[in-house]
Amino acid sequence: MTREQSIRTVLFYMSLAIFFLGLPFILAFSLGYKFDPRTLKFTRGGLIMIKTVPGGASVFLNKLLVKDKTPVMLNELIPGTYQIDLELEGHYSYFAEVRVEPGKVVRLEKVILFPLRPDIQKLNKEKISAFWIDEIKATVYYIDKESKTIYTSDLEGDHFKEAASFPPLIPPPKRWELSPDRDKLLFFNAHEIGLVYLGAEEHPAVRERMFTVQFPYDTINEVFWYSDSYHLVMLTDKKVMITEARQDAIPVSLISLNKKNATGSYDVRTDTLFFIDAQEAVDGKMYDNLYKIELHNRLYPFSDFIRLKPNERREKN
Amino acid sequence: MSAGKRTKRFLEILPGSISWGIIIFLVVMTVWRPVIAAVIIIIFDFYWIIRTVYLTTLLVLAHRRLSRERSKDWLAACRSLPKRKWEDLYHLVIFPVYKEGLDILRPSLEALKTCHYPKSRIIVVMAFERRHAPAGEYAKILEAEFGGTFGAYLTTFHPDQLPGEKRLKGANATWAARKAKDLLEQKKIPLAEVIVSCFDADTCIDREYFGCLAYHFLTNPKPHQASYQPVPVYNNNIWQAPSLARIIEISASFCQMIESLRLEKFVTFSSHSMSFKTLVDIDYWPVDMISDDSVVYWKAFLYYKGDYRVIPLYTTVSMDVAYGKNLFKTLEVQYKQKRRWAWGVENFPFVVSRLLRDHEIPLVLKIRRSFHLLESHVTWALWAIIMGVMPSLPLLVGGVFFAQTPISQNLPRVIGVLLNFTLGTSIVWILLSRAILPPRPKEVHWITNIVMVVEWLFVPFLILILGSTPALDAQTRLMLAKYMEFSATEKRRTVV
Repeated sequence: MTREQSIRTVLFYMSLAIFFLGLPFILAFSLGYKFDPRTLKFTRGGLIMIKTVPGGASVFLNKLLVKDKTPVMLNELIPGTYQIDLELEGHYSYFAEVRVEPGKVVRLEKVILFPLRPDIQKLNKEKISAFWIDEIKATVYYIDKESKTIYTSDLEGDHFKEAASFPPLIPPPKRWELSPDRDKLLFFNAHEIGLVYLGAEEHPAVRERMFTVQFPYDTINEVFWYSDSYHLVMLTDKKVMITEARQDAIPVSLISLNKKNATGSYDVRTDTLFFIDAQEAVDGKMYDNLYKIELHNRLYPFSDFIRLKPNERREKN
Repeated sequence: MSAGKRTKRFLEILPGSISWGIIIFLVVMTVWRPVIAAVIIIIFDFYWIIRTVYLTTLLVLAHRRLSRERSKDWLAACRSLPKRKWEDLYHLVIFPVYKEGLDILRPSLEALKTCHYPKSRIIVVMAFERRHAPAGEYAKILEAEFGGTFGAYLTTFHPDQLPGEKRLKGANATWAARKAKDLLEQKKIPLAEVIVSCFDADTCIDREYFGCLAYHFLTNPKPHQASYQPVPVYNNNIWQAPSLARIIEISASFCQMIESLRLEKFVTFSSHSMSFKTLVDIDYWPVDMISDDSVVYWKAFLYYKGDYRVIPLYTTVSMDVAYGKNLFKTLEVQYKQKRRWAWGVENFPFVVSRLLRDHEIPLVLKIRRSFHLLESHVTWALWAIIMGVMPSLPLLVGGVFFAQTPISQNLPRVIGVLLNFTLGTSIVWILLSRAILPPRPKEVHWITNIVMVVEWLFVPFLILILGSTPALDAQTRLMLAKYMEFSATEKRRTVV
């Protein structure tokens, strides 16, 4: 036998030995078993898989720091309950207690670590008491009730400027709402509706850019903009009404209501009003029902009693 | 169908059906029992890594021996032999030629001409195919150039489509050997004193080849019961060949070097030598089988009832790297060449059907050789698929239950760690590949030295394409009785 053949024989048996000795360990590791050198036995453990956003968090397993940072897989864990602490500098730490079962993987894969000091930015440059956001125009509207001023800025607080003043309402307004064309603002309390024209353009049918309309005999529950941004849909304690957004407009009553505190919702895309009203049933008792009324002028004969929009009127003339 | 044909057909179907059976089994298991599939994949991968490290160590041993012996003065060693006289030996060299041109053939004959061995003891046979029109002209030119250089120079033209023959290299070589036999008898040269070497047309022998061959022949107690296998390298155009082709051919050389140390499995491959008497006794090369180089070994093995072996010669024969005009053509050329090599699976039905009929070869030897033959081809068809494709399957189709098991998490890690071990072996292969390279031609830019290292990064890609697919293709064809035709590998030598 040549020298190479002798070496080859030794190598062959060495390879065979490595294969048969190494294979149980590789398979045991793959299947989640852990070799206990004290008992010389394999114990089936479980795994904990941890992923965080952002990654790179330190992992403490039962208060002991794990060498790897997230994403990390904690292998060969003896079944039982483990405390997991995740810590990342500049972020709130995360804590969880997980139960590891033999041959199972516990996944903590949706852990978000939130920053400790979020980026807070003051937007208003003047004193304010309320605000709302117009996402479409990317504009912030600020209200200062004391000075009765409306300010606007962009979403970063830049271009902060006075947009309009508004008339006082007593008691203070329940709600504020922008018109669909983002040009007018309405606000209302139980007997009064305030309107402010925010845009620079003069409105031919409106004498003043801010005014209030009073309803002393009705209690206003809801006011909605009609889709033309000129009419208002009102829900009072007595009726559903529609009116023009101007000072001396005469409201048109559409439906009489039985329920004093009727509430509703308005879908400006389809001009549909949803409202609750009470109706007497055959047993003589009053029951609340949800009603829907489509106010689109093609379906409802508004043309008879709703005046045309100012620009349409001009064209007609 | 006769019983013999039925047995042969069964044996043709067996390797492909085992390979496909294992693939289908693993795919089904990944869906049905993904944990078991993952365990099988890990076992196979671990086995393969151990095997790779083991074989790489053999490669280092073979390489050291090659470095030691290739520059040895073998002729001097022959002269020092006390008993047998090397001067009595003749070397019959047959070059079966098909479409190879003078640019390929001339260097092969030049290498013979410049070898360190008396040319008077070399008989050259240029074996052309009559069906190739320019053959006559080539023959005349070569005979004019080299006719007077050797002890004898014979040109043969193999007639097309003789009865019982296929259009194969073996048929041409056999025709040439028969003609050479007539010549030897005419010259009253004893056949037992002749060593025949059948070389591919592009084979350029090492300077010491015939001395080394003669020495091993003379020192072998049973010289006629052995084939003599040099280390095939693909150095003729290696500096000009594209990276992909170069890596594949270097790997093929290394595989042969590894095989040279696994003597119990060693079979002749490509260019090799043997006793001419034995060749005549076994009725020459097969005339109807593509893998004539290995079948001729098996014919001798059966003829000598198992007492026949292949002796490795640690000297090189250099051939051409096969490549095409562009990357895709190169891949195609290489794929076809590997498929032709993998068609060696036809040896399995050939050998086993004869072993079944034989009553003199020991049963253990029969089983061992049959198993080796089957195992090597099935492994070839599977390893790259199991290593490259299968590990990701359980993760993709294993389902929710599998995803909850530790093995689903550990499978990629374990496979990753195991594959990293192959990186170490890859570095050894890269270093050894540098050592077997011929000197860089002046016209090749020095930067090619760097390219030749970086190109090994292509290996995973090549393994996926050319690792197992050609073998699976060949086995499937044999299984479906779609027998392959011989297609000569495209040889080209571009000057850069």
